[in-house]
Amino acid sequence: MFSWFVFQGVRQAQWLTKTKLVEGLPPSVLSIVDDPAHQLEDYEERVKRVISHARLWDTTEAIPKREHYCPVLFEDLIHLCRLMSVKYPSLTKRMLARNYKIAATWERESILLQVRGLNGILMNSVAPIPPVASKEEILATEEHVLETFYPISPTIDLQEVNVYQELNSTGFRDGYPYSHPHTLFFLESANIRPNRFRPEQLRAKMLMFAFGNALAKAKVLYGNDPKVLEQPIVVQSVGTDGQLFQFMVFQLNTTDLVSGDGIKNLVWIDSDQELYEKAQCISEVKKRVVTKPAGIYGFQPDTFKKFLALYLHGTV
Amino acid sequence: PEPAAGEAPCLDMGELRSLACDALLQESFYQNKKRPFLYRDQDHTPGPFLTQLVSTLAASLCGHNALLAASSLDLKPEVHYYWHHGEEVVVHGHRKGRVDPVRFQIDDKPHLQIRVPKQLPEIVPLESDLGDVPVIDHKPSKLPLFKKQYENKVFIGSKVADPCCYGHTQFHLIPDKLNRKRFMRANLEDQIEVVYRANGIASLFAWTAAQAMYQGFWNEADVTRPFVSQAVVTDGKYFAFFCYQLNTLALTVETIQNNPRKNICWGTDSKPLYDVVENGSVKGFNDEVLLQLVHFLLNRPKEL
Repeated sequence: MFSWFVFQGVRQAQWLTKTKLVEGLPPSVLSIVDDPAHQLEDYEERVKRVISHARLWDTTEAIPKREHYCPVLFEDLIHLCRLMSVKYPSLTKRMLARNYKIAATWERESILLQVRGLNGILMNSVAPIPPVASKEEILATEEHVLETFYPISPTIDLQEVNVYQELNSTGFRDGYPYSHPHTLFFLESANIRPNRFRPEQLRAKMLMFAFGNALAKAKVLYGNDPKVLEQPIVVQSVGTDGQLFQFMVFQLNTTDLVSGDGIKNLVWIDSDQELYEKAQCISEVKKRVVTKPAGIYGFQPDTFKKFLALYLHGTV
Repeated sequence: PEPAAGEAPCLDMGELRSLACDALLQESFYQNKKRPFLYRDQDHTPGPFLTQLVSTLAASLCGHNALLAASSLDLKPEVHYYWHHGEEVVVHGHRKGRVDPVRFQIDDKPHLQIRVPKQLPEIVPLESDLGDVPVIDHKPSKLPLFKKQYENKVFIGSKVADPCCYGHTQFHLIPDKLNRKRFMRANLEDQIEVVYRANGIASLFAWTAAQAMYQGFWNEADVTRPFVSQAVVTDGKYFAFFCYQLNTLALTVETIQNNPRKNICWGTDSKPLYDVVENGSVKGFNDEVLLQLVHFLLNRPKEL
């Protein structure tokens, strides 16, 4: 399992996965965000209720801890998204897999890298997400030069292990009907700050594992030979610590990773989206007067819209 | 014996059956998993299967049941209930000889539960009497039961401020230490159903009574309308279904004297959902059990 403090964050992960970064979400996802037809009925009220449930109500104690409220928030948001299957019946063809193990190996300029183990919660779907970037955009990545960090080695802070088996496994057996990895969810739910990944590190982890899943799937579909993929593979990623959300869409264009030239992979990242500003569990009282009643403050509806759009992506 | 629950307006049984089989196959066959931990078999396959099954079924059925669309799904919530019933004389200590009510506390952890903003309709009228309650003379701590009470609290799974304050359905997993094979080996087949029933009655009583307390009723101010909830108790393959109607909270020595009302629980025996999972296919799938589960999920007040 990768647990490291990536020095350069996402930039290092980009070099390791031969990826070009685009800020913001891709147009195909943004069009779902903006389309009122793809919205849940009175979703603002329901999302506020979900946040209140996770942050305020779901415990016998006064204040729930992050280890408790982060997964509860995630489960409730997914439950809300699932209710959209009334409108889009093909959404029932999705399956959540918890505690699954991924294994992917690749070589980057004579360094053997691998991604292994328990990573997050994976949502699988029967149908793949169609490629997000056009052919022109993919060809344009050829000119892009990957950032290097000379004199810092690109493998700084990565765990060095002796690899006895170069494994590639999607985590599931052959014949699995829900065979396309759709979205990976990462919950940074440790209570104390040193055990949690900071947003930059979380984004780097999300990129590495989205890449790992896409690569494992590519090797199953197209074989182990390095090549430029005719049909790029898209895997999305959502990371949160219970309040801040990171959204990512990764497109694997090539499995030819040894050299730093040629077609690159693409990633779109929308970082640090707050779902709400503050959850006041106990009312603030100053001099016997309630200055701030208990409740959720600073709710941002757009963050949920993006979450839902990533969920619906590929179906609508 | 169970009352008929709900009509089935053009349900696609084939679709629901395939969803159930997919959930089962994913958890027991397709996902690469390590061996289960000792005595924790239920966390390896039955637990995740139940979670998948209920969440996908609830999502696909919310078109037929508006109550499900407004529901809240809790994973491994806590349910607590505290009450007094009967009397005992204090044996040791400085209060020796005084008469005290016997205190009971249930601390339950269902695997899954669905809470809704509106109450389920009553099954029989409030004052119905469908039989007698057995009387046990000795204290429960002789069994031993209800001895360790760490904290006396009442909780339905969420605080009072939550609008989803009524219970719809709970799902319980039988722990590995009580699985069927152990009972068969010890020649105790007749005790298998007892486990399911005891779980159903105790959990549902605690849940419905806690819901009633959240609405302001207690043993001096008895409920004016019955509280109904459902439960499914399973070990991953065998499913038993229970419905509970809470008619009275008045169980203390003073209030039980002129209280003719009784709480009623209906339940089925445990039936298998499938025979065996072999090579990526489910053999012997039992549609009846699935249909019963679907009817449970579709239960809602008549106005909806």
